[in-house]
Amino acid sequence: MSAFKDIWNSCKQVMLNIWEVASNTIVEVFHDHGVMSIFFIAGLVYPFLYEGLCWENTLKEVPIAVVDLSGSQQSKRFLRKVDASHDVKIEYRCTSMTEAEQLLQDQKVHGIMYFPRDYADNLEGVKGQAHVSVYCDMSTFLYMKNILLSSSLVMLDEMHLVQRQRMSALGVGDEMINEFIQGSQYEETKLYNPIDGYASFLIPPVLVLIILQTLFLGLCMLMGTLREEKRLYKVSNNKWSNSIQVNLGMALGFFIIYIGLSCIDLILVPRIFGNIPHIGDVKNLIMFIVPMLLSTIFFSLFIAGFLKNRETGMVVLLPTSLIFLFIAGVSWPQVCIPEAWRHLSYFFPTTWSLHGYLHLNSMGATMSQIAKEFNALWILTAFYFVLAVIQMVVIFRKDPKSLASNN
Amino acid sequence: MIATVVVMLLCCFFFATIMQKGVPERMPIAVVDLDKTTTSRNVIHQLNSMQMVQVTKVCNSYAEARDMLQRGDIYGFMLIPRGFYNKLAGLKRPTLSVYTNNTYTVGANMAYKQLLTMCNLVAGALQLEVFTAVGLTEEQAMTLIQPIVMENHQIGNPKANYAIYLVGTILPGILGLIVLTTTVFSIGLELKDKTSREWLDVADGSMPVALIGKLLPYNLIYLALGICCNMLLFEVMDLPVAGSFLLMSLAMLVYVCAMQAIAVLFIGLIPTVRTALSISALYGMLAFSMSGFTYPPMAMLPAFRSLTWLFPLGHYYHVYANEALLNGPIENTILPMIWMLLALLPQLFIVERLRYAAINLNYSPK
Repeated sequence: MSAFKDIWNSCKQVMLNIWEVASNTIVEVFHDHGVMSIFFIAGLVYPFLYEGLCWENTLKEVPIAVVDLSGSQQSKRFLRKVDASHDVKIEYRCTSMTEAEQLLQDQKVHGIMYFPRDYADNLEGVKGQAHVSVYCDMSTFLYMKNILLSSSLVMLDEMHLVQRQRMSALGVGDEMINEFIQGSQYEETKLYNPIDGYASFLIPPVLVLIILQTLFLGLCMLMGTLREEKRLYKVSNNKWSNSIQVNLGMALGFFIIYIGLSCIDLILVPRIFGNIPHIGDVKNLIMFIVPMLLSTIFFSLFIAGFLKNRETGMVVLLPTSLIFLFIAGVSWPQVCIPEAWRHLSYFFPTTWSLHGYLHLNSMGATMSQIAKEFNALWILTAFYFVLAVIQMVVIFRKDPKSLASNN
Repeated sequence: MIATVVVMLLCCFFFATIMQKGVPERMPIAVVDLDKTTTSRNVIHQLNSMQMVQVTKVCNSYAEARDMLQRGDIYGFMLIPRGFYNKLAGLKRPTLSVYTNNTYTVGANMAYKQLLTMCNLVAGALQLEVFTAVGLTEEQAMTLIQPIVMENHQIGNPKANYAIYLVGTILPGILGLIVLTTTVFSIGLELKDKTSREWLDVADGSMPVALIGKLLPYNLIYLALGICCNMLLFEVMDLPVAGSFLLMSLAMLVYVCAMQAIAVLFIGLIPTVRTALSISALYGMLAFSMSGFTYPPMAMLPAFRSLTWLFPLGHYYHVYANEALLNGPIENTILPMIWMLLALLPQLFIVERLRYAAINLNYSPK
């Protein structure tokens, strides 16, 4: 009976210790301007800033210049249709390429359409191919996308007109012509982001990155402070037991703060703005957020162990945000990332978090469809927990003074 | 300091290698083959011979392919309907369906382009067959199938290489981030360690002299790093540079100065190293989107458009576009540099405040 009581008492003590560390951590966070501004300014203001930045979701009416040496009915019809599209707008009509090139170099226009003198002549009769040239400003790929899209759609339309004329001139029956031109040869469906919007593509990963990177940087800053001011927690005399309890406690503290922030950024924000996809099941999203946060917390606790003061982390680790984004293979496709980098990326919680969240939130995947990502995050949680515990034991052994003396 | 140089070099190495190929290759796609004829298998075979895609799975149903898409295994798929061959043989046009996952824009668009090309090839082959059956020569048939040809010129980046597009601005962006945080840190440390009065004394009590003395060595290191970045881009990675390398280096100098000036502004306004550091990190990260190189200001919320002027990275990107891609007139390089230099102006007002902070050492530990 008493043995049972002993176990019960020591369990209770451990729980109390963990809770004490957790509540201290929370108090510590709220007293630190640096950490607070990272957690809350970035966590709560950034989503809205990014939404404002990608406000229109797609690019509309990209200004272009045209050089129409043909001046024919056909080229004018072509240009009317181009101008009518949402994607581009004819801003200047030039008489020579030099003039148009000048406009492009000054970035007053982002593309040029050029019709040679013989454009219409080549369309007369049943033979001959007419040429159109399109020049794109490559400083932003979205310009190119708009210009190429609108000009190719108009070109297809114009081609059908010419085909119709030529085929009837050759004596092909109307029915057959219709079969060719009207029957659609393909249909396209852009799933999950039907207008291929930039905000719909960029904001969901940015939201994940905001949550995970602010957590990472803020936690490193806080750990650095505790280390620098020699206030690392001590709740037990046994190194290992202390390390386990402190790590669990700090993790709990950060988890409590971040579960709220995550729900706002990852669940609420996409539902406020119409252009961010949000077809995921809320219950599944919350279930996924748990290992996402835990793996990141232990990853950060492990990395933070290398930092001896509060500022170095910020200076050295800030650029990792971009590396984590690119190595995860969200913007640049994952299959195109060189093998070595791809293997390395599997060790970062951000990689699995980004893909898992996108699949759940933007693509409406079920839990079984993201089992790979979900399990990987739990494995990383365990992996980094062990590393973080070892890390803290090493710190205590090498640098026993960094412990709080009064605890 | 050494750590930041290492970080910068690591970032250079990372971005130089990650987009090695520049253009995506072998994107995984699937084909739902409901027709199961030699013709449909031929379509799959032809898709596989394209450089940019590879058919990783031939599915038996739409549901199967969609499941793969939702798991993130493929970027898109093509559905070949039942009776595809019969329709083709009867000279009727069968409909092919193309589905892409546009959650991943780059991959999806790449897959989409290839699948569409395939659709056009199938249609073209059919048309050619019909026209030659009617008794036209192949040449006549081609002018019927393709009466208008579009020639596409992508200025400065003919293959739409992503490395040329992104890395040229991302690396200076990271450099800016590092300049910002280390400058805030180095000045803030003087305040924090209560050595700022000595620092000021060395400069005979003149804050501008103290600042220049402190920041000049850093400036030279960052400039060297920046020029190394550009050398890496244009010499090692062999990206094209249409204009002048010298002017780009000059722009790099101006950019580093501007970022240092902004850092001084932050630490001057908030003379507490950790808060100033956090604020400059927030500002620095925002620069990547604000510079407008991925998403142009013309489609931002109007209030944000004017804010883009406050980020030197945006001006540097204009120089990059003008010199590396467009080879435009020199004014288009000089003007953004002048904008960047304007970042030095607020220093006139902030220097006094910083001097006050340096003398009174008002660093509060909490």
